[in-house]
Amino acid sequence: MTAVAEGLPGVSKTSAVERRPSVTSRSERFRLFFQPIAVVVIVAAVVIWALTSDLNANERETLNLPTIMGLLGQHVVITIVVSLLVVAIAVPLGVALTRPALKWLAPVFLAIANVGQAAPALGVIVLFFLWSGIEGLWAVAIPLVFYTLLPVLRNTMVGIQQVDRSLIDAGRGIGMSAGGVLMRVELPLAVPLILAGLRTALVLAVGTATLAFFVNGGGLGELIDTGYKLQLNSVMYVGAVLAIGLALLVDWLGGIAERWLAPKGAE
Amino acid sequence: MSLWQYVTERWDRLSLQAWLHLSGVVQCTILAAIIGVAVGIAVYRSPAGSAVATALSSTVLTIPSFALLGLLIPIVGLGVTPSVIALTLYGLLPIVRNTIVGLAGVDPAVTDAAKGIGMSRTGVLTRVELRMAWPAILTGMRVSAQMLMGIAVIAAYAKGFGLGSEVFSGLTRAGSANSLNQALAGTLGVVILALLLDGVFVLISRLTIPKGVRD
Amino acid sequence: MTTSPTADVTTSDSSGVSGAEIRLDRVTKRYPNTAAPAVEEFTMTIPAGKVVVFVGPSGCGKTTTMRMINRMVEPTSGTITIGGQDALHIDPDQLRRTIGYAIQQAGLFPHYTVAQNIGVVPGLLKWDKRRIAARVEEMMDLVGLDPGTFANRLPRQLSGGQQQRVGVARALAADPPVLLMDEPFGAVDPITRGNLQDELMRLQSELGKTIVFVTHDFDEAVKLGDKIAVLGDRSTIQQYDTPDAILANPANDTVAGFVGAGASLKQLTLMRVRDVQYSTDEVLTVTEDEHPATVADRLTRAGRTYALVVDVRHRPLRWVHVRELAGRSSLQQAGKPVGDSVSTQSTLQDALEAILTEGGRAVVTGTRGEVVGTIDITTVTDVIAGVREEHGVGEAG
Repeated sequence: MTAVAEGLPGVSKTSAVERRPSVTSRSERFRLFFQPIAVVVIVAAVVIWALTSDLNANERETLNLPTIMGLLGQHVVITIVVSLLVVAIAVPLGVALTRPALKWLAPVFLAIANVGQAAPALGVIVLFFLWSGIEGLWAVAIPLVFYTLLPVLRNTMVGIQQVDRSLIDAGRGIGMSAGGVLMRVELPLAVPLILAGLRTALVLAVGTATLAFFVNGGGLGELIDTGYKLQLNSVMYVGAVLAIGLALLVDWLGGIAERWLAPKGAE
Repeated sequence: MSLWQYVTERWDRLSLQAWLHLSGVVQCTILAAIIGVAVGIAVYRSPAGSAVATALSSTVLTIPSFALLGLLIPIVGLGVTPSVIALTLYGLLPIVRNTIVGLAGVDPAVTDAAKGIGMSRTGVLTRVELRMAWPAILTGMRVSAQMLMGIAVIAAYAKGFGLGSEVFSGLTRAGSANSLNQALAGTLGVVILALLLDGVFVLISRLTIPKGVRD
Repeated sequence: MTTSPTADVTTSDSSGVSGAEIRLDRVTKRYPNTAAPAVEEFTMTIPAGKVVVFVGPSGCGKTTTMRMINRMVEPTSGTITIGGQDALHIDPDQLRRTIGYAIQQAGLFPHYTVAQNIGVVPGLLKWDKRRIAARVEEMMDLVGLDPGTFANRLPRQLSGGQQQRVGVARALAADPPVLLMDEPFGAVDPITRGNLQDELMRLQSELGKTIVFVTHDFDEAVKLGDKIAVLGDRSTIQQYDTPDAILANPANDTVAGFVGAGASLKQLTLMRVRDVQYSTDEVLTVTEDEHPATVADRLTRAGRTYALVVDVRHRPLRWVHVRELAGRSSLQQAGKPVGDSVSTQSTLQDALEAILTEGGRAVVTGTRGEVVGTIDITTVTDVIAGVREEHGVGEAG
């Protein structure tokens, strides 16, 4: 499991989603540059080491390209499915909960989402599996959607709420419909925060996907587990390093998206 | 068997696991706070240092905790050690970042005034700057503690301690009579502990943050 | 829904009136769970092509009243017609696309460029792209922003004054007959505000819109308004009249309080030298090539002590006293240079200032700088007295 502080309550003194101060924006630039390099170097080093060193039969059984690629593929699929579901659910829900007619429901949904994230990720996955009996991809994806919903839901709501009221007033005043103001003013201006929430959700999803193997969902966690059970350190290393590399890569992609997908002038 | 029956019957073991979970998280949070504040103090005057320290601890936070465990087990073995290392590392980021932000946010006029009345460099730091940054640092610790509550569950994988063991044994005994109760007791126990600890943090901030600084 | 001006429109000083008359009839706004209505039985006719300023203390309901015209606030009861059409029976979004709307801090969309901001209403009205582009350029020229420089900038790259200009351009882009302005210049510094006010007056003299302008600044109201409505609690009309009438004769203590001290001096900013009876025959003008003896002779015959020396194009140069002429062979360098003069366009306030610096009498010049007469302090004080009398002020003015 990975937790990212932006997504958690009370990170800063005023609000969890306030504008990042300059220290963090400098460190963001540093990370955007340094992270992909670290990923490439470490992953390459470990993979080359693993594939070139003398492996015993047991090790060879797991440390071969098809197995690794298969587990990596499962991991990526889980991450993508969870992220897509989160966006598909959290953004419309967040928008709906900021509409005047449904505003009163917002605290209810935020409380549910808060509980979802306060519960330990592994507990949520295991409970869903024991309760439903489902195995594989959906046994991970469904509880993880519940678990990672909060950052996107909350950032969508806050992103829309923090749009200057005078802009909405101006939009309506010059003749935009309520839907027009939402699509052309409120949502575009909420995009930076929605993307920040999505990045947090992506990192949570890719991190918790390492737990998928517990419910037969595969993923890179399986390499670590195999290495642990069979006491094969090389397998553990490869699994851990690939999972870390993937997480850093996903986080980096999220950072790039945050930087480039937001409409100019909205930040 | 109902969850309630399950919990009352196994109260001794559950309460011990809960205690181990809580004390482990609290100790690791304190350890992370000591290291995190020290790192914050070391770098907050240098913009580049602040950026690097924040970036590194953000990166650590991005690492999946199960993967970190996978790296640590071959190196430090099983048991408490990998859990403590992992929890402390994860606890660092919120504290480092909030320490830097808190210290950098102290009004220069205030530190100037403190120097002006003849306080030494360390005097200014301990009696003025750290006191002003304390609410931010405390918030960082609170966030860390909440996060570690969940990560400690995963750390139980490597023969660690706490309520995570309940979740894992519930999983391994999947299909047997009390597996769901066991996992549920472990998971809900963590949620309850997290709420309790959060309440303690609220109390600490009430008691230690002077009205003039509280926001 | 552009409407031609109705018959009762007066077009005294603007040639092309494109505005529409607005009538509010017993308009009331009552919010739920409040004892007193926010606006009570508000009845007013806003003439086409005129600037009407709502002025009053904050919280008096002036903004609410204005916002009922474009139904940003729905009236609880009453009727509103714009150019004869019942505004309450048009789709609000359609209605608002035909009413310009400018607010404090401009309300520009930060993620739209200047051009996109200005083009947004024409876009809503489904104009084709080329027409929008042409219109945007025209609007930017109109408000004095170079399209080449500013079209693709984001609002945050503009100064406060420039943002307000874009705000006005956006409000005018679809050529609405009516413009609502809610303290549009409230957030800029005083100098920029003055410039923007001048600019708005220039625009209005070209466009002749019907403008409803809300402000709490009475001086702004006096400067911009063809008519001013001083509003009290629940938007009750304390006085609705021309600025000079209100200045000269505040209807009650509330209005008097708002008008404040120095009302008579404010009056002077409303009137121009051309509007008053300055003297055209009081001054004897002479050219530099006349002989001093001749001038002295003319002065004696006219019974004057001073002559005004002018250049060949009749522009004022120096005052010369009859005593200074004795024994001189030429008028060159004789006398005291004219310091401050006023033009027929100057306000009476400027004239008063010039009169005081010049010592009781100032030269009045025409459009090309030529001497057309003089104005003295009694002319100004007579004007003030006259205005006060006209509006029936009891005490001596």
